[in-house]
Amino acid sequence: MILWLSGLVGLPATAQSPSRPAAAPTARYWVTFRDKAGQTLQPQTYFTAAAQARRRRQHLPAFDSTDLPVRPDYLARVQALSDTVSLVSRWFNAVACRATPAQAARLRLMPGVRRVEAWPERPLLPAATPRPNTGPQPAGPPARLSSADRALAHRQTAVLGAAEFRRAGQQGQGLRIAVFDVGFRGTDTHPAFAHLLRRQAIVATYDFLRRSPDVFRGGTHGTEVLACLAGQLPDSTFLGLAPEAEFLLARTEQQGRERYAEEEAWLAAAEWADRNGADIINSSLGYTDRRYFPEQMNGRTSLVARAAALAVHKGMLVVNAAGNAGDDPRWRTIGTPADADSVLTVGGLDPETWLHLDFSSYGPAAGGRLKPNLAAFGVAVTAVPGGFERVEGTSFASPLVAGFAACAWQQQRDLPVMALFARLQQAGQLYPYFDYAHGYGLPQAAAFRPVGPPPTLPAPTFDFIAADSLVSIIIRPEAGTVPAYQLPLLADTTANGPAAVAAPPAPLYWQLRTATGFIVRYEVLEVGQRAVLRVPLRQLPPGGTVRAHYRGYTASFVAP
Amino acid sequence: MRHYKPPFGLLALLLAAALPRPAAAQQVLLRADPVTDTIPARYGPNRAFYQHLFVGYTAVAGAPAGPGAELRYLQSGELFAGLRNKWRVAGPAAVGLDARFAYLRYQLRQTNQKLVPTPQLHHRETLNLTQLQLEPFARLSFGRRGNVVGNYLDVSGWGGWALGASHRYEDRPGQGQGKRTLVKEARPAYLHRWSWGLGARLGSGRYALLARYRLADSFSGSAPATYPELPRWLLGLEVGVF
Repeated sequence: MILWLSGLVGLPATAQSPSRPAAAPTARYWVTFRDKAGQTLQPQTYFTAAAQARRRRQHLPAFDSTDLPVRPDYLARVQALSDTVSLVSRWFNAVACRATPAQAARLRLMPGVRRVEAWPERPLLPAATPRPNTGPQPAGPPARLSSADRALAHRQTAVLGAAEFRRAGQQGQGLRIAVFDVGFRGTDTHPAFAHLLRRQAIVATYDFLRRSPDVFRGGTHGTEVLACLAGQLPDSTFLGLAPEAEFLLARTEQQGRERYAEEEAWLAAAEWADRNGADIINSSLGYTDRRYFPEQMNGRTSLVARAAALAVHKGMLVVNAAGNAGDDPRWRTIGTPADADSVLTVGGLDPETWLHLDFSSYGPAAGGRLKPNLAAFGVAVTAVPGGFERVEGTSFASPLVAGFAACAWQQQRDLPVMALFARLQQAGQLYPYFDYAHGYGLPQAAAFRPVGPPPTLPAPTFDFIAADSLVSIIIRPEAGTVPAYQLPLLADTTANGPAAVAAPPAPLYWQLRTATGFIVRYEVLEVGQRAVLRVPLRQLPPGGTVRAHYRGYTASFVAP
Repeated sequence: MRHYKPPFGLLALLLAAALPRPAAAQQVLLRADPVTDTIPARYGPNRAFYQHLFVGYTAVAGAPAGPGAELRYLQSGELFAGLRNKWRVAGPAAVGLDARFAYLRYQLRQTNQKLVPTPQLHHRETLNLTQLQLEPFARLSFGRRGNVVGNYLDVSGWGGWALGASHRYEDRPGQGQGKRTLVKEARPAYLHRWSWGLGARLGSGRYALLARYRLADSFSGSAPATYPELPRWLLGLEVGVF
């Protein structure tokens, strides 16, 4: 096992320079090389069978230049000229090393070196730190779940269409999901994961900080996140949508410690996940203001955003938590790597209202790009060492959507990753409406129904009425009344709870958009009367539109 | 002709109902204005301007210029609190201005060589200065960072005016039948009220090590020439409140 791991791309390598000055202070540097001339790769031996199959399914080449190894002669020179080499990245044809300023100057002059950048150490903070529901958590074992918690445990997957996926036999079979987190303490002993351990569904683990395969220590955040993918309550309720998937667990961050907290661990884990055939990466982590400014959340600035984009390029779907900075006036927006265009960023919804939770980070990403892409419950029941607990954070919305993506991908296994990305967005309950708090909203399994009638366009539920200086939205009479519906009988209840989940009363979503599509203002209104909204026309941007969504129907009013 | 005059209240109500109100309708469950929400802030730890409070303590360090003014070092020092204003100039460079209130106390050791301010020995004796100081500084930050204070080196010049100065001593037993006698001599003429010097700060986040060197003399021209200059160094720790 150790031999197998030691051959991995991106594994930290170490070398000591004989010429190290005794007292010179060292700093970390990122050394990028010019070429990979002469390097070859046998994809059949380098990639696992699952990784090769993923590439074939997505019509990707067996390997490309980013998979080729770093030139050994370049690597040897850096090892000789620097203090320590801590990461070798094939994807970026680069190494991270520790060196003195004088050594860095010599590295810059080395043939084949394109760039030497200072590489500061900063923590990769959990973008979605679990938020205790009510104040500080008491010491000792978690309290027993209340009936409300058990109901939530059922609803967190039911609202996404767990029953429909289950009926279709889609629970992530044949999918491999990599989870990057701060630690998975208790995962190997918790009864919530007994079914995974029984069928050996955790196929590989690696701690990129301690360089060991043991990830079942450190923080419990990863355990909680994994539970929202595949955990199971004692009453057999699944806490996530992909209990039949296989998992790769990577510890990429140590919470609260700066020494090991580096973006390169995320990159190394992504390369490892690629080689081991991951289909989906779930990352409930992110950088925010310790290192970046909100205006740098452009998907190009941070290494993790670029690494995530490259992971998508290699056919993996990257699902990332939006972050919990929505109520932090200093940040408020999403972190990175959630800022990358091709990363599926997931915001948090209130389970009672299905509306944005205050702490869930808002979009847009820098440049006015749509983020988050989707949303799921940001309050969830999850497994913690010793039991189960209700927790808050977009950390838990992300694996709920990652599990959804696994089921959807299982149904259409040959879908290229970005086609899946688009389909997932289209599955959002608000689609084609979106805003910067909910994205396209909660994804619905019905959008991936394998058989049945083709989806029909929703019937109009409201009209725009333009007057001289106003445009009004009037709810249609037939949409303004809630039709009688039948509550599920006890006989309809399955072992996993009732089959249907009642949605909260539908609000009206509306927004003002510029001609370029940037949303300058958006609101969600409770609908208590048919004449629900009046907007002065002078508030419309030139060439802009008023766009609204109510009960599945989206329409726009274009400024005259 | 009879004119009907509607009551003023009703008229106001009708007008209010008729006037268009911006997007007025139902209960707003969520509202966001990305146009204003996404404007890059100008205020913040690593933005164009930042302001925060700080507190700290510096101990008097070094020896007096001659015999006669020995100090109890652990008890001699300056306690201060102030407001820092920082303007980012470009990249890692910033300038700033501190305004602070500082209480400096020299605790005089009672030795046979004592000269300051008198050779007379007491149970406890201090020279105290309550100062208002301004300190412009230039800052060089290290390492790439986001909107945080980060690691930095400040160099500064400082100056201030002593709002209050005093010489206090305590005698035990006190005069007459008293257990102790406390004497305060306000604004002694031999203490210099103006003070100025140089400083440096090495900080990381909210914590900073700092050193200040006083260029001005402690004693004024009216002080006896035998008074040795008091130690000029202050070394200590500062904590930012942010």
